[in-house]
Amino acid sequence: MSQKIHIRTASASNRIKPLPTTQKCYKIFTPGEVVINASNTNFVRGHGTYEEDGDLKASVAGVKEQVNKLISIRPLKSRYNGQVGEVLVGRIIEVQQKRWKVDTNARLDSILQLSSVNLPGGELRRRSVEDQHMMRQYLQEGDLISAEVQSVFSDGSLSLHTRSLRYGKLGQGILIKVFPSLVKKSKIHFHNLPFGVSLILGNNGYIWISPPIDNKDENVGGFIQNLDEVIPKDIREAMARTRNCILALAENKMMLFDTSIVFAYEESLKYSVAELLLPEAMIDVALLTQHRIHMLEDYEFQ
Amino acid sequence: MSLCDAEKTFILHGVKENFRVDGRDREGYRPIELETNIVQHAFGSARLRLANTDVLVAVKLEIDVPFPERPFEGKLEFFVDCSANATPDFEGRGGETLAAELANILTSAYRSPQTFNLKKLCILKGRKCWKICVDILILECGGNLFDAVSLAVKAALHNSQIPLIKSINIDGDNIELNVSDSVFDCEKLDVANAPVMVTVCKIGDQCIVDPSLAEEQCSVGSVVVAISQEYFSTVTSIGKGSLHPRTMCNSLELGQKVGIRLNKAFMETLHNIQPDEDVGFLK
Amino acid sequence: MSRKKELLSKVGLRLDGRRADELRRIRCKLGVFTQPDGSAYIEQGLTKVLAAVYGPHQVRSKQKAQHDTCIINTQFSMAVFSTNERKKRPRGDRKSTELSMHLQQALLAVIKTELYPWSQIDVYVEVLHADGGIYPACVNAATLAIIDAGIPIKEYVCACTASLGNNDVPMLDVSHQEEVIGGPTLTVAALPMSGKIVLMEMSQRFHLDHLPKVLDKALEGCKDIKAILDEAVKKHIQDIGSSTGWANTTS
Repeated sequence: MSQKIHIRTASASNRIKPLPTTQKCYKIFTPGEVVINASNTNFVRGHGTYEEDGDLKASVAGVKEQVNKLISIRPLKSRYNGQVGEVLVGRIIEVQQKRWKVDTNARLDSILQLSSVNLPGGELRRRSVEDQHMMRQYLQEGDLISAEVQSVFSDGSLSLHTRSLRYGKLGQGILIKVFPSLVKKSKIHFHNLPFGVSLILGNNGYIWISPPIDNKDENVGGFIQNLDEVIPKDIREAMARTRNCILALAENKMMLFDTSIVFAYEESLKYSVAELLLPEAMIDVALLTQHRIHMLEDYEFQ
Repeated sequence: MSLCDAEKTFILHGVKENFRVDGRDREGYRPIELETNIVQHAFGSARLRLANTDVLVAVKLEIDVPFPERPFEGKLEFFVDCSANATPDFEGRGGETLAAELANILTSAYRSPQTFNLKKLCILKGRKCWKICVDILILECGGNLFDAVSLAVKAALHNSQIPLIKSINIDGDNIELNVSDSVFDCEKLDVANAPVMVTVCKIGDQCIVDPSLAEEQCSVGSVVVAISQEYFSTVTSIGKGSLHPRTMCNSLELGQKVGIRLNKAFMETLHNIQPDEDVGFLK
Repeated sequence: MSRKKELLSKVGLRLDGRRADELRRIRCKLGVFTQPDGSAYIEQGLTKVLAAVYGPHQVRSKQKAQHDTCIINTQFSMAVFSTNERKKRPRGDRKSTELSMHLQQALLAVIKTELYPWSQIDVYVEVLHADGGIYPACVNAATLAIIDAGIPIKEYVCACTASLGNNDVPMLDVSHQEEVIGGPTLTVAALPMSGKIVLMEMSQRFHLDHLPKVLDKALEGCKDIKAILDEAVKKHIQDIGSSTGWANTTS
């Protein structure tokens, strides 16, 4: 496979769009369009809307969402808008006094306070001055972490915490970035997939693929990286396949969640991992996955 | 984007085991997509996508005076522009160093008369010649820029048509050139020997080709080799770090091997390419 | 000296065969690139422009950060091969600086900057082919890219040019050929829904009496363009929405 170099002409590879098999059709609002006119005052203004002359107008292009009186327009693509309790993957970009700055694909850099991490040696230990000096030993620039949104500051930046054994520094693995809107909202973000790959689906569109996590491991605080461990070839292959499958789904604008990824993985087995980089293979996998998801949905519906 | 040690280790081990992060082996190339004749008002053009590296090349012709020391030759000039669309780092003058580096490597790769025949561009000895301006616009960066640019340049030159000069009137210092009236009286440029660049990236103890952005970060040093048929037309080491002479020789060998293969595949595509309705960016 | 070429023939057709109030063909696409937060490509006749939007993100230089609003950073750039005569430099000359500023002005009028304190939005436009009406094409492309990035705006901002043919007929969407032949060119960037004008620029000597009708024509053009862009946006959203199966959508 690798001996062959694939060069195609653009016209031959005209992108075939997976057929939109869903019958659902929503009204799409575009910026400036009136969502609710002035005669109706029974609403609360939400995200993606603004009021002008009593009318509620859309400020982004998307579909309407209504929770009781709260009306908002959700764009199908945007930067990550964090909400408390969501799980994300981020990268440390700066070590400051008593806190780390984290890149989370949000509008502003997120903040991880020294007081919001579990330090080695017990959860309820007081933070001393030494800990401040030791901060770079725990997490340094470039390190990846998984964390949860603790609160949102008034300027919109996120405050994170890693006060759970699940969160903390990430070891060896692959990071993929997709648009946040492609990650399906779910209560579970940590998945151990059946083919020996562990996955963190960050709500911010950062997806972490790693070797299966041994839950029995004494992983307190999670500041240890084992750099000497060589990941066996079969797991490495499964990880690479997962990566290419996720990219194939994302390329074709399909939602990412555990089921869709498992389906895509199973459908992709007829290709070698490197073949999955080819556009035809990507579309094929995406289409087959979409088909299976629809079958599943129909089945659940019945 | 800076990777952490653990990610680098993962990539490093992968290269060692000959199974990279995206499933390629060390000599594997990502799929390439090519489109020619995309800029209508240029004499030739091409757009090339290698993963999400996106390069647009247009060729323009001008009448110029040959260099006094090379009266029989035309001119070939490269200009690279790193658009800020690719990354905000290129804003203002941010991309200029990279642009200059790319233009220099291209110039030296095309310098040898065996790679590209400049004599054909001469119109009147010492007085008039064609100047080919190759303008390269970088629209998106996904690693391995050098290879992508060299391929796109080759495709754009292949696509170029030089109008035939019908008559030359010399009246003292005044030279009048008349271009043939027919649009079809054109000459194609011969790019069979035009160099193809291959970036060989050293990661750990091994060398790989076609590095992605993440792999470029893990590399301790890279060598760009320009291959024209079986010969090297230029060799440049780029990036930080130093290479052992033996590694250097190994990378040159690898570069040559892959370069020949790449050139063969690319020439086949170029010959098979059909003039099409423009799809361009609307696709 | 030969008679000046007429912009409008006796039948009322223009040099390229258009009617006086006809736009050139507009084709556009959202989301052309994956790296930026939003991107768009537009063709207006032969004029072709790519736009990319990065952000909103943390302001890069801390001195510039504003506590109550976000900074809009624009850069206009023209590929050296975009014009018939090859350009020397893609940007940095006076004209591109001016166009960058005008683009910023148009975008500041619509982007809801107050929502994004301490942030910055980068808007980059790259002209691939210049055939008259560069500024309007840039504004329209930038609008699409911003919508693609999901950045809240009050409404579309569209731009259009208009000219005066045969000294009394207003003409829409001036091409390069018509610019060269002469006649005044009025460039307008407007908010077509509320009818407000964000930017107006006039070239050449011009009688005030003619202004209202040329301006009206240009505004009409902005409305037409808005309708075309709106359709493209809706189609794009529909496409993405149906392939994602409208997941995450509650109602």
